[in-house]
Amino acid sequence: MLKILLPTLMLVPTIWVTPAKWLWPTTLAHSFLIALTSFSWLKNFSETGWMSLNKYMATDALSTPLLVLTCWLLPLMILASQNHTSAEPINRQRMYITLLTSLQFFLILAFSATEIIMFYVMFEATLIPTLIIITRWGNQTERLNAGTYFLFYTLAGSLPLLVALLLLQNNTGTLSLLTIQFSDPILLSTYADKIWWAGCLIAFLVKMPLYGVHLWLPKAHVEAPIAGSMILAAVLLKLGGYGMLRMMTVLEPLTKELSYPFIILALWGIIMTGSICLRQTDLKSLIAYSSVSHMGLVAGGILIQTPWGFTGALILMIAHGLTSSALFCLANTNYERTHSRTMILARGMQMVLPLMTTWWFIASLANLALPPLPNLMGELMIITSLFNWSWWTIALTGTGTLITAGYSLYMFLMTQRGPIPLHITAIEPSHSREHLLIFLHLLPLLLLILKPELIWGWTF
Amino acid sequence: MNPLILTILLFALGLGTTITFMSSHWLFAWMGLEINTLAIIPLMTQHHHPRSTEAGTKYFLAQATAAAMLLFASVTNAWLTGQWDILQMSHPLPTTMITLALALKIGLAPLHSWLPEVLQGLDLTTGLILSTWQKLAPFALLLQINPTNPTVLIMLGITSTLVGGWGGLNQTQLRKILAYSSIAHLGWMALILPFYPSLTLLALLTYLIMTLSTFLVFKLNKATNINTLAISWSKTPIITTLTPLLLLSLGGLPPLTGFMPKWFILQELTKQNLPLLATFTALTALLSLYFYLRLSYSMTLTMFPNNLMGTTPWRFFTQSTSLPLALSISMAIALLPLAPAMMALLTP
Repeated sequence: MLKILLPTLMLVPTIWVTPAKWLWPTTLAHSFLIALTSFSWLKNFSETGWMSLNKYMATDALSTPLLVLTCWLLPLMILASQNHTSAEPINRQRMYITLLTSLQFFLILAFSATEIIMFYVMFEATLIPTLIIITRWGNQTERLNAGTYFLFYTLAGSLPLLVALLLLQNNTGTLSLLTIQFSDPILLSTYADKIWWAGCLIAFLVKMPLYGVHLWLPKAHVEAPIAGSMILAAVLLKLGGYGMLRMMTVLEPLTKELSYPFIILALWGIIMTGSICLRQTDLKSLIAYSSVSHMGLVAGGILIQTPWGFTGALILMIAHGLTSSALFCLANTNYERTHSRTMILARGMQMVLPLMTTWWFIASLANLALPPLPNLMGELMIITSLFNWSWWTIALTGTGTLITAGYSLYMFLMTQRGPIPLHITAIEPSHSREHLLIFLHLLPLLLLILKPELIWGWTF
Repeated sequence: MNPLILTILLFALGLGTTITFMSSHWLFAWMGLEINTLAIIPLMTQHHHPRSTEAGTKYFLAQATAAAMLLFASVTNAWLTGQWDILQMSHPLPTTMITLALALKIGLAPLHSWLPEVLQGLDLTTGLILSTWQKLAPFALLLQINPTNPTVLIMLGITSTLVGGWGGLNQTQLRKILAYSSIAHLGWMALILPFYPSLTLLALLTYLIMTLSTFLVFKLNKATNINTLAISWSKTPIITTLTPLLLLSLGGLPPLTGFMPKWFILQELTKQNLPLLATFTALTALLSLYFYLRLSYSMTLTMFPNNLMGTTPWRFFTQSTSLPLALSISMAIALLPLAPAMMALLTP
């Protein structure tokens, strides 16, 4: 663990003492080395499932993919932010990278925590850097509104979680993830226990976000700078899914009866947010709503509690993390050139940035879950396990998949094809930095086709 | 003010609190509180301004009422039980009266309404003394009486966290915001007092550190309303960068210092089998968080437009000492990892 954590901490001095000229290359190289080192976690040959155990942290098959994704995202965020912060004073650029680094630090601690309260503290700790990234580096004045929504939605969900966790600790005497599944089942029968069950899950459902409590997400995504959108879509939402997967074992007998409304909301949310995407004019907002739709599927997969559901949820989380982050990067390349997120104002980009269209094409296909990408694997596993639970779900998940294909096509056609408006004929060509950025998003996605068991979680 | 007089006043201020700390006899405790009150009133009115006179008068009236009530309660106690010992309170009537008198002294809701008005009339240094040092003596007494019935303190605590959050929402004056923030924090301390007094002490300590650094930041920027904070980035850039963390720490966001007392208090409340109370209190903290967040928005997270000359004051050398600020702000932000040590220090 410390092999990754200490270099991450040492990124901070690197950021502040590097000469201005070398700031971006050095931090990129440093964080990329950390990401490469983090791959060693993937080689899990432990019998208990837990690896790299120390006093407070450990990795297992569930947290490893998310940890590696976190480490992989930092160099990509640095790569993506270079252009839009270049007009700022050097100290502010350094501060920005420091915030991104602190986010990685907190996320590593959150995913590898072996104690639920430690996970909770780190889960909350990620709020502060994200809030500052959104409200300090966002572009419009609505960013303050978005920051407030982000903070208060999450906190209103997670303060009851803290109380629920403390109650659990009083009941079982421990919150260690290593032993909690071996502790005696708690007697859950009263109404208070049902409220406790909701308290344990609602924080994560808000973070996911579940349809109905998702309003903070599109706002935050639209207003955040590119790195903020990337980390939010790729990793922060997955904190919710990860937390739910961890809590499910504790909540055992109650989930069977109480999860119906949440499954219904999740599945209904797939249709609703998908339909919102179909009539969306704002590119970033479209990608954000597409995230809500995919996360609805993940929530459904986790809530029905079958091995296939869990595995599908983890696969979809990783695949969606890479895909949506790539889509946000692509949206940002357009935004940096046209300074507008409105799709109708930047059509026909194939004529001006033809290679970018390739990346748009692959990313859109990944978003609509084309075989054999891991996105399809995740969706298929979740849909299958939902279908096994109730035949009627296929009506919702099937329509959802269709709508997903529909809006992915809409997004691709709207941005890449069609007549090119006269006011954008003179935009600058794409940089190799941007190609590298998208390539580094799509490469892991494509390579995972060959070895998907890395992200199969407990099933493998 | 003449330095000699100032020295005498500050000495009396310290003396009053110390007498209250040391006393085991109610009469001495009352005397200490009175010396304390009388010593701070000249400090409050040192700037001859209608607002400070008003503040001094209001403070005097509130404190005199509280002290009279305290004296009356201790006399009643002596009449009922035949002794004056602070630690031997057994009858519920004087205990409740003393609790309410001390609540009026520190400004717990619903006995809080003097606090924002008084604080608004003071300069930041006296305001700092009022919201930190002046809380110590009443809390020393509150910690020593063992309340026979926790309901009074729980009601005071809940009302204070609510009123502190709600009252601060529509304020633009920093001193009033800090007063409401103080009320909310005192509410948390009162809430846990019947169950685990060491946690009251921990909450008081962290509150003192955080309030000290907030007042020092505002003093460094000479800021008394939100608009003045907006140009602080041109005066003290690094402090401006750190202040959102300080404010969110006051709001109680992990992993900052302010989360520590809230965490432990919630833990104790759940141990006492009061999960609803714990959840409710935790959610009232969101109200206060909103105005801290608004302060951070206008201070750091947005850039107030300024003319070219206006952006350079940070280049000038200042005479103001910043060592206390540096120490207190680092403690106010990064004390959470030391939570076990703090608890070991404060648990008897």
